[in-house]
Amino acid sequence: MYALQYMAAALYLAAGVGAVLGLALPAPKVLRGARWGLGFGAGTQFAAFATLHQLDPAPSLTDLGYAVSVMAWLAVLFTLVLQSRIRLPGFVPPVAFIGFLATFGATLHRPDLADGTLGSTTIPHAHVLLASAGLAALGVAGLAGFFFLMEHRALKRRRSVARKIPMPSLEALDRVNRVALSLGFPLLTLGVLTGAVWLDARLGQFFSGSLHEAFMLIAWMIYLGLVVLRFAGRQGARQAAASAVAGFAFLLFAIVGAGVAS
Amino acid sequence: MKILLLGMNHRTAPVDVRERFAVDSTEIALRKLVDRPEIAEATLISTCNRVEVVVTTENLDAAQHVLYDFFARDLAKGEGPSSSALIDMTYLRSGRQAVEHVFRVASSIDSMVVGEPQILGQVKDAYREATEAGVCGAVLSRLFQRAFATAKRVKNETGIAQRPVSVARVAVDLAKQIFERLDDKSALLIGAGEMIEAALVALNDHGLGERRVANRTAAHAEALATRFGGTAHGLDELDRLLPDSDVVLTCVGGDGPILTREMIARSLVGRGARPLFLIDIGVPRNVDPEVHKIDEAYLYDLDDLQDVAAANEEERRRESERAERIVYEEREQFEGWMVALQAVPTIRNLRDRAESIRRTEIDRFAGRLRLEGAQVDTLEQLTRSIVNKLMHSPISRLRDETDREAGLIRLEEARALFGLDETTDASEDETVSERGVAGRPVDAEKEDGDREA
Repeated sequence: MYALQYMAAALYLAAGVGAVLGLALPAPKVLRGARWGLGFGAGTQFAAFATLHQLDPAPSLTDLGYAVSVMAWLAVLFTLVLQSRIRLPGFVPPVAFIGFLATFGATLHRPDLADGTLGSTTIPHAHVLLASAGLAALGVAGLAGFFFLMEHRALKRRRSVARKIPMPSLEALDRVNRVALSLGFPLLTLGVLTGAVWLDARLGQFFSGSLHEAFMLIAWMIYLGLVVLRFAGRQGARQAAASAVAGFAFLLFAIVGAGVAS
Repeated sequence: MKILLLGMNHRTAPVDVRERFAVDSTEIALRKLVDRPEIAEATLISTCNRVEVVVTTENLDAAQHVLYDFFARDLAKGEGPSSSALIDMTYLRSGRQAVEHVFRVASSIDSMVVGEPQILGQVKDAYREATEAGVCGAVLSRLFQRAFATAKRVKNETGIAQRPVSVARVAVDLAKQIFERLDDKSALLIGAGEMIEAALVALNDHGLGERRVANRTAAHAEALATRFGGTAHGLDELDRLLPDSDVVLTCVGGDGPILTREMIARSLVGRGARPLFLIDIGVPRNVDPEVHKIDEAYLYDLDDLQDVAAANEEERRRESERAERIVYEEREQFEGWMVALQAVPTIRNLRDRAESIRRTEIDRFAGRLRLEGAQVDTLEQLTRSIVNKLMHSPISRLRDETDREAGLIRLEEARALFGLDETTDASEDETVSERGVAGRPVDAEKEDGDREA
């Protein structure tokens, strides 16, 4: 049952190691192979999800490990789509390693198949899928922001050319940041809304005041502010990058940290 | 057949000497060379940094004199240099050192700027010209094909050619780290001198978008703008031009900076996240160094670019150590091929000798035993099978030996064991000639030393 997930995790790991080697040597063919490995990993993971979905009862998407695995898969897909349009050397290793950790972690933390109470309804699944997709996109924005800050610092210190590993251009990273933010924020918004609807169906209220909900709301408001600043042209590229990194860190805490704490 | 190389380059001769040896017509020069009986094949590499002649010969000593004579009489313009002067300014390499040298040259390890890409094209041109002139046979063809393969490996497997080492290329490299593409970018060039032109050429090679030239002297700006398809402006228009610019290149005379922090900060208002890349190659500097502190502005002056270029050059030198290992591997493979080539006449002699013995014995016994048609055929098959099986192992070992030294020893042993040196050498000439090399007996290989003058 978990063979495909193991295989996907192995493909992600191989893609990550291959990409590191491809960048460090440098060996363009190895790097290209790593990209294909990432693609095959995503394909295998999709097959793994399809296999799990066939089970009766199917594992619930609301399971944390499963949700993180879906989130990582969406982040891989998003990165692959971006890579087809924008030159992003250096992006494959972190995404591949995140994919590996999330997929492998999901196999260790196996969802309780007997708990089918949430698996049969649409809203919780929609909430997890939309929030995961939003988080994946904003994660890619955060990663692009992190790379931007490193590249910006190197250029300001006038050390960039001596660097061994090729990096995407500042402009490309800023574009990824912008695209990921413009896609991630609406998805996150829909995730928050479906979460509220789910809560209403369960408890008869849209907001119960739990730690997770409170932090998610704050995270959403922070992102709302960032989107307004970004698209109103009041934020420079460096500030936008730093905001994307900080925003994602907070979002991660709101979902994983607060989830675990509660 | 041995390989011999005589050359001069930027390390052994100054430019005023090298330019006297620049070749006008490669074909005529090569024909003069191969007309000499000592030379079998020849190739001539002539660039602004080197003149090198690579030949194959059976007689190293004689060919060496021919090459010095060729340099002094045929290549040198005006009065030829004295023998001692020529020896001082050239280097002579033979055998494996010559092979290694050609591989190093093609791979750009021997270039003035290590890793520069032009040399491979120049070596390819030299090979093509020699081939077209019909003076490049099997050995040199193989040598140059392997040289090109070595250069490709060096380029792909090392970082020798990855880092730019000229100021203009460093600027382009930096621009590519800031911008995803240059063809939709607008460049503002302040000044119209040679430095600006060199940088503009480098940027243009990467498909720079709009070009605007601003200069004190309108005529100079106009001339440069016309040549590169841009528009000309005066220095008083800078405030208007800056907001739309992505790359600013400055090199004009003057006391103080012409672009201040305030001007740049003003021009960045309303640009959003669009970065501005400023290259200041003017001395004294044309842009206030404080500009670099603005987030969206990346300012590099001449010293910064030169520092980066020097660091890259050092990195290329480090990478050249890896390239040397590739050259060594490829040279060993080529040496193996040379040994196999030298084994061909011996193998032919061995087969001929065995066949001759077989034929003689069959004739003798077929008559004595009064054998008839079918019986003779059977005897033919039987003896041929025995001979083939006996010869298979020694021939395989001669042919497959790739180590040069071991191969040469084995060849000598085989000739002595089978008494091949007592037989005719005619077949050797034929074999070598078949391969496109002027036929002369293959001497036992002597130790080829590095004879750098």
